Amino acid sequence: MSNLYIPNLVTIEDVYEETPDTRSFRLVFKDEELREKFEFKTGQFGIYSAFGLGESTFCIASSPTRKGYIQCTYRKTGRVTNALGELSIGDTMGFRGPYGNHFPIEEWKGKNIVFVAGGIALPPVRSVIWNVLDRREDFGDVTIVYGAKTVADLVYKEELKHWDERPDVKLIQTVDPGGETDDWEGKVGFVPTVLEEAGVPAENTIAVVCGPPIMIKFCLNALGELGFSDEAVYTTLENKMKCGVGKCGRCNVGDIYICKEGPVYTATEIKAMYDDF
Amino acid sequence: MTEKYIAKDALGALITVVTSNGGRFVAPTLDARQVVYKEVTAAEAVVDVNDYILPRNSYKEIAFPQTEVLYKYELTRSGVDIDPVEVVARQTVVFGARPCEAASLASLNAVFTWDFIDEDFTKREESIVVLSVGCVNADDECFCTTVNLSPESTTGADVALYETENGYVATAITEKGTAFVEAHAGSFVDVAKGETKKTLATVEKVEGVDLTKLGERLAKTKNYDSPEWAELVRKCCGCGACTYSCPTCHCFDITDEGTAFEGERRKNWDACQFDHFTLHASGHNPRDTQYKRYRNRFMCKFHIYPTKFNSTGCVGCGRCIRVCPVRLDITDLMTAMSK
Repeated sequence: MSNLYIPNLVTIEDVYEETPDTRSFRLVFKDEELREKFEFKTGQFGIYSAFGLGESTFCIASSPTRKGYIQCTYRKTGRVTNALGELSIGDTMGFRGPYGNHFPIEEWKGKNIVFVAGGIALPPVRSVIWNVLDRREDFGDVTIVYGAKTVADLVYKEELKHWDERPDVKLIQTVDPGGETDDWEGKVGFVPTVLEEAGVPAENTIAVVCGPPIMIKFCLNALGELGFSDEAVYTTLENKMKCGVGKCGRCNVGDIYICKEGPVYTATEIKAMYDDF
Repeated sequence: MTEKYIAKDALGALITVVTSNGGRFVAPTLDARQVVYKEVTAAEAVVDVNDYILPRNSYKEIAFPQTEVLYKYELTRSGVDIDPVEVVARQTVVFGARPCEAASLASLNAVFTWDFIDEDFTKREESIVVLSVGCVNADDECFCTTVNLSPESTTGADVALYETENGYVATAITEKGTAFVEAHAGSFVDVAKGETKKTLATVEKVEGVDLTKLGERLAKTKNYDSPEWAELVRKCCGCGACTYSCPTCHCFDITDEGTAFEGERRKNWDACQFDHFTLHASGHNPRDTQYKRYRNRFMCKFHIYPTKFNSTGCVGCGRCIRVCPVRLDITDLMTAMSK
């Protein structure tokens, strides 16, 4: 094995401005052989380089059912993400990965799935959504509950529109009170409340939840109220990471290294962890 | 292997042979008026084994440097060129390692090799030959016996040396040690009759510490929120000195030095005691107060290392106590958490 920390080079093939501070990149490996043979599983993450500034960790937001490229979505909040914000089509960046475990989606065949996401946490869920929708006949009802602070903060607006129009997907969008616009047709309220009000049946249903820690906490409660067992609820944790390979000592929650044993966990596993979120 | 003997006078010749074969000889030496493990080229630079308890630094930095270049990058017309730095580790002899510290490289190895192998570490580690010297002296901060090591323990040593009047009795512990002693037969000779090892220091166990109970307590998630943590750790100022001096602390950062046009990516020591260490881009910080950061380090030593990596998280060298600016004594925590 060559050096663990050396990234593969990727070319930015496309850029999507999601919100004023959030962008997505469609990335392809420069190495043609790698482009062909690269595989990942839904829920895995990567470590992305902006040369000169360092690395940042994001999930792979595209689905393994869409081959030949990976997509990532990031918010411009720090040094590295601001540098990535300056890059454009044709530019080169670095990618290490895929790392971590994945959603056991093969075990969910025949089940209904409810996706719950808040703000910038839709990207990891997006990978699962497309993985399910690309094999739509394998699954039962699909419900997506997505919320953000304001209408402007909703990411993947084109895809939301597409999902909304699909008869085989139930999309519930919400924004926090005060975040609505005059022409907003979705709900107004916090994600956990909207989720509970939606009354998604728990029977034969898997829930995939991703959001800020506080949202996850309240959503787990809401799903419990709806009758979901902890075993049927999955989430993905996103602690700060540097190495991605269980060595740099940052992402651990007690004795669990999120980068190696996670980032995907059931609510049962989350509740058994040290309170170190 | 039978015991051998190396005279203190023969150290210079050993250094010459090792260095002339392309190796490095690291020994306790003076640097900025402190005894530190550092490369030496002559016996005169080596501090007498009785003139120090423990060098200021840990020799983990030989396998896990404070800073290392992973690769250089350069922006080109067609993208970015990456020029990896190949680690070519020369044989590095560490003379005068203390038995406590000798046990630490195996712990670091456990972290750097579980599943993914960090070859920057392993290549360097493989090149190290540890010649430990049993401790004739100890100080109040030494607590090796509390963590099941001792002034005579050989864990992690390739060759264990025990001081006599004018030299050391040497026992090869590992195959690497045996090969080293055999390769330097001119320095390691038969033990003369009457050669007597000096009496080793006595290090009392810290009263009230029970590693089993301590481990059991830390393993229970419900104890994680005990108000004791904040009370016991209140005076910690979060400087991170304990982590930098600790022979088993392994945390690092990966960072770029340079511009978007050219520069290098480095792996640098970092410390779990800093608030930005776990700070999310969103502003959320799972370890937002100092006691949580201290708790993480303590958990790492006495729960994560033993249970996850099946290795020793704390070797009882006492460096963290010696360097602490607020006199926070890890053994006080060990005692409190053994209840």
